[in-house]
Amino acid sequence: MRVFTAVIAIAAGILVLGGYFLPALADVQTLLLNWAVILAGTAALVGIFNLVSVHSDKIRRQEKGSGYSILLLISLVVTFLFAMILRPDHEAMDIILNGVIIPIEAALMGLLTVSLLYAAIRLLRRRADFMSLVFLVTAALLILGSATLPFGNMPVLGTFIRPWITQVLALGGARGILIGVALGTLTTGLRVLFGADRPYGGN
Amino acid sequence: MAISLDLITGILSFLFTLLIFSYLIGDNPLFRIAVYIFVGVSSGYIAAIAWWQVIYPRLIYPLVFGSMLEKSFMLVPLIGAVLIFMKISPRLAGMARIAMAFIVGVGAAVTIFGAVAGTLIPQVMGSIEPFDLFAANLRNISPVESLFNGSIILAGTIFTLTYFHFGARPKADGSLHRMGLIELSAWVGRIFIGITLGAVFAGVYAAALTAFIERIMSLINFIGNFL
Repeated sequence: MRVFTAVIAIAAGILVLGGYFLPALADVQTLLLNWAVILAGTAALVGIFNLVSVHSDKIRRQEKGSGYSILLLISLVVTFLFAMILRPDHEAMDIILNGVIIPIEAALMGLLTVSLLYAAIRLLRRRADFMSLVFLVTAALLILGSATLPFGNMPVLGTFIRPWITQVLALGGARGILIGVALGTLTTGLRVLFGADRPYGGN
Repeated sequence: MAISLDLITGILSFLFTLLIFSYLIGDNPLFRIAVYIFVGVSSGYIAAIAWWQVIYPRLIYPLVFGSMLEKSFMLVPLIGAVLIFMKISPRLAGMARIAMAFIVGVGAAVTIFGAVAGTLIPQVMGSIEPFDLFAANLRNISPVESLFNGSIILAGTIFTLTYFHFGARPKADGSLHRMGLIELSAWVGRIFIGITLGAVFAGVYAAALTAFIERIMSLINFIGNFL
């Protein structure tokens, strides 16, 4: 089984990667990508089923906070049934999207305003070293520099310092981080294709 | 009908925004109710999307209404989907490894190509571009400014990458240390990383502030409609 799963992962990976470089493999690549999308969709359903089973167990054992689990399951089942019967693009489904999902996401994002400010103050109080200062001064300069005044951008800070920090200093660091992340991703992907890493459970 | 749907949407939006903002006075049951409902509703919605936009059009429809060739091509993902569903049973979960191996293999290939074509090559080209003085002239940027900024960006990139170099040699006393030059470059790299993360923080803060103001305005507008 171990060898079989490794062979499937390596063969699928090589065929898909080959499809980017060899036009002869392009059709095979499209087919394999389509299969992968179907399997990923199925895996999402299994993940949601797992969520249902975890919360059902919680309710059955009458654990602390099981009332919240009941709410979760009711909202999940009701939404799923409505979306299956009406289809997700139905006008009535907009209530769920615009009345529940988007407002909660936006409000949670809005809460970050307070959490980030609190985190910045805590950073200054607990670790007021040179690097924390660099971090916070940069953030403060950029936030102040992006403030729009009645007569336009803030002089010097908004017109020169902020663009120079974002387009030169921060770009250099961001580029280094991005290249580092890409190299790490490349290595991890190649290890999977060579069979050195088997995150699908093949040891 | 449209008005009533809008009203229901408005009431729900108002209610859930208030429940989430109740977190500002501390963690409380109202906030948790909103979060659990959010997880339930999102999961149910995602499950329906996965069915209607992925599984039905790509798997079920070709299997039922497709040609013989299409049907035969869809047998493999059908078997894969059945194998993945075996994950639900602890006894049969091992069988899902076959389908998971396929997903991981395809994912690794897509990730490798994405990392090279989507990040490495564009970033390297971006680092070279400021040193192309002909292109700088075409864009009406002074060559000196382009060279100066390009050098700082390149130095920032190299110093930042050096910071993530963890190779070290053992000293006589057994302790591990990086070479002096690398240590110095890594220290400068930390400054660039600090500036970059500060810029990211400022960007996220600005986005969060925008969302906060938008939600507060929606609350005010909703109340204003009834006054």
